[in-house]
Amino acid sequence: MADQVAETAPSKTGDKPQAESNVVIETRNLSKVYRDFWGRQKVQALKALDLEVRKGEIFGLLGPNGSGKSTTIKLLLGLLFPTSGQALVFDKDASDVGKNERIGYLPEESYLYKFLNAVETLDFYGRLFDMPADVRRDRVNELITMVGLDWAKRRQLKEYSKGMTRRIGLAQALINDPELVLLDEPTSGLDPIGTREMKDLILRLRDEGKTVVMCSHLLADVQDVCDRIAILHQGELKELGRVDSLITVKDMTQVRAEGLTKEAEDEIREVIARHGGKLVAMENPTTTLEELFLKIVRDSETNPGRRSTQEK
Amino acid sequence: MTFDQVIPDFGEWLFGGFIISLIRVSLLIAGGVLVGFLVASARRGPVEGFYSVAKVIASSVVDFVNWSVPRTIAMAMLAVQEAIRRRVLIAFVVFVVIILFAGWYLDVESDNPARLYLSFVLTASNYLVVLLALFLSTFSLPTDIKNRTIYTVVTKPVRSWEIVLGRIIGFVTVGTMLLVPMGIVSYFFVQRGLSHEHAVEEVAAVSVGDVTHEGETSYDSHHRHTFKMFEDGTGETDVVMSHWHPVTKTDEGYDFGPAIGLLQARVPVFGKLRFKDRAGADTDKGINVGHEWSYRSYIEGGTLAAAIWTFENVTPERYPDGFDLEMNLRVFRTYKGDMEKGILGSIVLRNPNPSAKVRRSEAINFTAKEFVSDKQTIPSSIRVVDNEDGSVRDGNLFDLVDDEGRLEIWIQCGERSQYYGMAERDVYILDRDASFVANLAKGYVGIWLQMVMVTSFGVMFSTFLSGAVAMMATLSSIVIGYFSNFILEIATGSLDGGGPLESLIRIVTQQNVQVDLEIGKVPLAIVEGIDGGFMKCMQAMAGMLPDYGHFTTTQYVAYGYNIDGSLLSMQLLTAFCYVFVVSLISYYLLKTREIAA
Repeated sequence: MADQVAETAPSKTGDKPQAESNVVIETRNLSKVYRDFWGRQKVQALKALDLEVRKGEIFGLLGPNGSGKSTTIKLLLGLLFPTSGQALVFDKDASDVGKNERIGYLPEESYLYKFLNAVETLDFYGRLFDMPADVRRDRVNELITMVGLDWAKRRQLKEYSKGMTRRIGLAQALINDPELVLLDEPTSGLDPIGTREMKDLILRLRDEGKTVVMCSHLLADVQDVCDRIAILHQGELKELGRVDSLITVKDMTQVRAEGLTKEAEDEIREVIARHGGKLVAMENPTTTLEELFLKIVRDSETNPGRRSTQEK
Repeated sequence: MTFDQVIPDFGEWLFGGFIISLIRVSLLIAGGVLVGFLVASARRGPVEGFYSVAKVIASSVVDFVNWSVPRTIAMAMLAVQEAIRRRVLIAFVVFVVIILFAGWYLDVESDNPARLYLSFVLTASNYLVVLLALFLSTFSLPTDIKNRTIYTVVTKPVRSWEIVLGRIIGFVTVGTMLLVPMGIVSYFFVQRGLSHEHAVEEVAAVSVGDVTHEGETSYDSHHRHTFKMFEDGTGETDVVMSHWHPVTKTDEGYDFGPAIGLLQARVPVFGKLRFKDRAGADTDKGINVGHEWSYRSYIEGGTLAAAIWTFENVTPERYPDGFDLEMNLRVFRTYKGDMEKGILGSIVLRNPNPSAKVRRSEAINFTAKEFVSDKQTIPSSIRVVDNEDGSVRDGNLFDLVDDEGRLEIWIQCGERSQYYGMAERDVYILDRDASFVANLAKGYVGIWLQMVMVTSFGVMFSTFLSGAVAMMATLSSIVIGYFSNFILEIATGSLDGGGPLESLIRIVTQQNVQVDLEIGKVPLAIVEGIDGGFMKCMQAMAGMLPDYGHFTTTQYVAYGYNIDGSLLSMQLLTAFCYVFVVSLISYYLLKTREIAA
């Protein structure tokens, strides 16, 4: 595992330079035991976690419910105190409030004050960073436009749908233009368009040089955006590494081509048999449902009132 | 109203009681650190425990250095917005409704309507605002923690200190936003409720001394007056419902001026009290008549026993026309006599200088009734006794004042075997009245300070308890605070009946509080041992929590006495200290708790 920890953060964009090796997050033997009122152990949520997250990468914490993902995030944010071990963020102890200057956090549910409207919400969080009034005003407008809530910015959040609340939650996480963004289930409650936009935004944040740590149990989301992932189960780290290397099936080769005739396909089958290989499948590939949905919506927006041009 | 509580001079208090309070606070802080160390040691061992406590203290220094006022204001504004959006200001509507229907349940024919109206509005404001502070302060933070909205706040560079202080400032702002209009509405309600005019009902010419006419006013606002006109064209009504009107003769008839004596802020000037015993010798105290409260002592009638007040700074500049002397003497009768009549007594003004030419005034006789305040006007021209020949002649009040501006007032009881009871603050000179509006405002400052302290305690309890439990804890602190004297009496064993457990046994077994508890020697020792522990805790609690009664100045305003600057200063400083200490405790409680646990 140690060699995996030491890996340099990779980039999905081929032309992007390798991320700097600065460590943004480091946990050492981090453990958390939940206890009841009498101090008796209820559950060990995290067991001796060793992690390093480096500057400029998108790091995914993956695992089923109760695996310790949210506990890890909360420990990193100082919302929980470790039972043993240490969590360091920007080389500072996680309980140090000063580190929050450089952090943005989107909780699992957007825990926001429902009696405020979008502008008031962002203005409030901006004030918590001691931002000057003019900078704050510009930043609030910029973020509201970015998350597409201009039309509803004066409505109280209690009138917002879950997706809208999620967007404003994301905006508050970015109010201070953070260097490190912690996203707890970022696509939860979003429709496919929102999900795609969120994923695009995460990639954009990475491209801007920010570090993103997200936890999710939606594997497709993690696969789409994360450079590296850690898989947790029952509070223990089970796997850690680059997504592309982790999901590569090394003993299988996939050939994809278009415009082949029947004869050409037969010839390929012969070549595989001649080299002792076993043909597992040769078929027309399918796209993902997400891709299909997005295409239909885009078509519909381009040609309103017409049925989809998607081939049957 | 009597001034039972001796209010020390602010300077004396500051360098006496306040320093003791500071020592208590220091001990409290040391105790807190020790408890923190013990808890941390129990969890992680003594070395780790020590390290944890040291880390918290060190990081709190960083927190205070990095304290941001804009962030605190942001937290305060959030609390204000929260309260307003949750329609808290409806409390003001409740207050207005209570005021609007006050006529239904207030006695409009009261002897002293001003006292009744003022007590009512001040008490209503006090209860409403304290209740509001209680609910606002105790439920807000637990709701934030329960709804997890606090996650998005504590993950910003916000210090626990800013969260705590922001809440307190925010809720105090909301309370102030309610209290100020309540005060304004109260003033106009009382003023308009008491304002009235009279016309002449009947008048007849008479010739008694300098009185030329006598008459009766019309019946307005549930009363009427009789009035007298003097030779110089001025006149006055009698005192009905604690007020009177000046009367002037005009071409059209008689003009009755505004009511005098309703909305006032009398300024009592207190003197130093000493006693003479029945043989005329100096003594520290008068007689203890047995069951009476030890605060007062008594002088025997028909003897040389006297109570002597020495007033300072009695100068012609201060009292050019003389002064009013107000007396709240107690009467203790060893035989019933005529209960309708008071007990006869005399006032003599004396010059403290034994070599003064004029040593004393002629005796001014008066009668004192139990629980009735008596006012004597001492004019600047009075009858004095000449020191040389003992003759009585017209003189000046200030002939009886020594070079240092001191004047002695001797009070003696004239009836044999009857007694007058008094304490230092029962007899005082009335200085020029202060502004009633300012006095009402000072009364509201007392209410405001109570609200501030309740808010602070509410926020403190809400940092580690759930909303409902925090509310109960704060409510308990308020109850203990209001009844701290009573609790201290129980805790120190001054009251009969023992501690809580002994009282419970007495209730169940129906045993009188005056007799010894009959449950056997060993059980009694156990009960007393347990009660001892309880009583120590009660003593500590009552000593630590604010004495809210000390902040209730409703009586001063309602009875028309000015709230002394010393008292107000003490209230302000005491409240500030409480808020500071409670905020500090809240900060550590919030800082050391796991928000997401």
